[in-house]
Amino acid sequence: MTVRPEPFAPHRVQGTLLQVEGLCKAFGGLRAVDDLSFELTEGEILGLLGPNGSGKTTVFNLIAGALRADAGRVRLSGRDITRHPASIRTRLGIARTFQLVRPLPHLTALDNVLVAQLFGRGGGPLRPEARDASRRLLDLVGLGAKTSVPGVNLTLVERKRLEIARALATHPRVLLLDEPLGGLNATEVETALALFRKIRADAITLVIVEHNVPAVRSLCDRLIVLNSGRRIAEGKPDEALARPEVIEVYLGR
Amino acid sequence: MALAGAAALVAMPAFTAASGVLNWGFLILLYTALAQSWNLLGGFGGQVNLGHAAFFGIGALATRILWLHGMAVFAALPAGTAAAAAAGLVIGAPGLRLRGPYFAVGTLAVAEILRITVGNILPEVSSLPAARLAAYAIAPRYYLALGLAACVTITARMLAHSRFGYGLAAMREDEEVAEAIGVSTFRYKLLAFIISSGFAGAAGGVFGYYHLSFYPQFAFNPVWTFDALLITFLGGVGTVWGPLAGAVVFLLLREVLALRLVELHLLIFGVLFILIVVALPGGFVEAWRSLPVMRRELVREASNSVADSVRRRRRSP
Repeated sequence: MTVRPEPFAPHRVQGTLLQVEGLCKAFGGLRAVDDLSFELTEGEILGLLGPNGSGKTTVFNLIAGALRADAGRVRLSGRDITRHPASIRTRLGIARTFQLVRPLPHLTALDNVLVAQLFGRGGGPLRPEARDASRRLLDLVGLGAKTSVPGVNLTLVERKRLEIARALATHPRVLLLDEPLGGLNATEVETALALFRKIRADAITLVIVEHNVPAVRSLCDRLIVLNSGRRIAEGKPDEALARPEVIEVYLGR
Repeated sequence: MALAGAAALVAMPAFTAASGVLNWGFLILLYTALAQSWNLLGGFGGQVNLGHAAFFGIGALATRILWLHGMAVFAALPAGTAAAAAAGLVIGAPGLRLRGPYFAVGTLAVAEILRITVGNILPEVSSLPAARLAAYAIAPRYYLALGLAACVTITARMLAHSRFGYGLAAMREDEEVAEAIGVSTFRYKLLAFIISSGFAGAAGGVFGYYHLSFYPQFAFNPVWTFDALLITFLGGVGTVWGPLAGAVVFLLLREVLALRLVELHLLIFGVLFILIVVALPGGFVEAWRSLPVMRRELVREASNSVADSVRRRRRSP
């Protein structure tokens, strides 16, 4: 089964999908993101690592449009989207999950996904096919039996899965996953990792913020490590994690 | 059942000449339309507009002035509706930048300013001239209210099952998530606000065509907002049939209470509102829907406890 419906056939072109240039965001006197630049290659899985408060979620908010940057640019396929509201960015192909899961509480699991299907990239009128596609996505994340359960009645693990199904329903080109493994047990982590690989195989580019280092090591093609809103290391997981700056940030000198 | 009800409502003037009964029907339909117009934005979209009376007032004033100046009511009413919808655009475009309680308080303030201004500019009571009074009949007013109530209810029903309705629901549940899945929340809010204001204006227009004499300021009174709100919550906020159910109960109660307990009836409505919000957050419509489930659970519980006691008795020597 594919994640993506036919009109959005996998992009074969390998190139830069997302560019972040000189991004800055301050909250009062705190520089949450400080002159950050990086590029995202189509089809890769990029891991964003760093201690708590290092600005990872802020980077997501700036890319997805939930926050406006103080300075810098965000480009998607070369197009400047820095000033676009979140809804337009979603329709251009940027989807995200929330670190603290946020199901639409009084809508059923199916309707949660259906809204995203209707309003996301290439969304359209309410047709039975949209409902079928939403049902398939719930099957994909293992919520096939929970379609008519309201968001508020789902367990934490189920909510995490719903977040992913809902994000996928917008037909993203880039999917931003904010700590998708937090609170999952070992088996659930394995299931989730298999799902992420499957999503990538459907030509969706992934950026993942995660504290689970072994999982990140096995999943990601590349890591960027942040501290105080600045990049302190970048590279293949094993290389980046072995850098003295990274060890120092996590363990102290 | 809905079809039979609709037929009965349409046929009512043919069977009863008693204007009292038709008056009752008129009021229920008018309040249904007004409450449903509030429900479109407040119930489906989750934006609590406390300035709804302003749009009712604008519709009432515009329709009545045009009609009394010789325009046919079928032209004056759409004009009043359009005036209220336009006011919705003008007030909504900046007002909807406010969120939650700030939006509620902001709309209340705007409506009060409008009410006082109208009272200053038009202090005279507006009465029907003798010729209009002689030609007055309740039946056309009744049909106008029926048509409007049907229109708003059908709009609500279509909305509940449409893409637009899903967007509003997502926005009501969590605005940031709605944005993140592609809903342009501001555009949707503004559109719902304009539709809601327009229908409130139409209800006001029907009122302006119905009422024999009133101070223009009265149509802007916050009581129109709070009656609409109370009716919607009584019947079921965010439901298609809640405003109708709420309007029937509200008007019956008001009739009984206002006659017997003139000074206390507002207090009683206040307490009732709190009780409904706390005990029946879905209103009558939700309570009715969950009735079969509740009954089933009661039966299951009862049979379980009977089975338990039987088992216990068997075990005891």
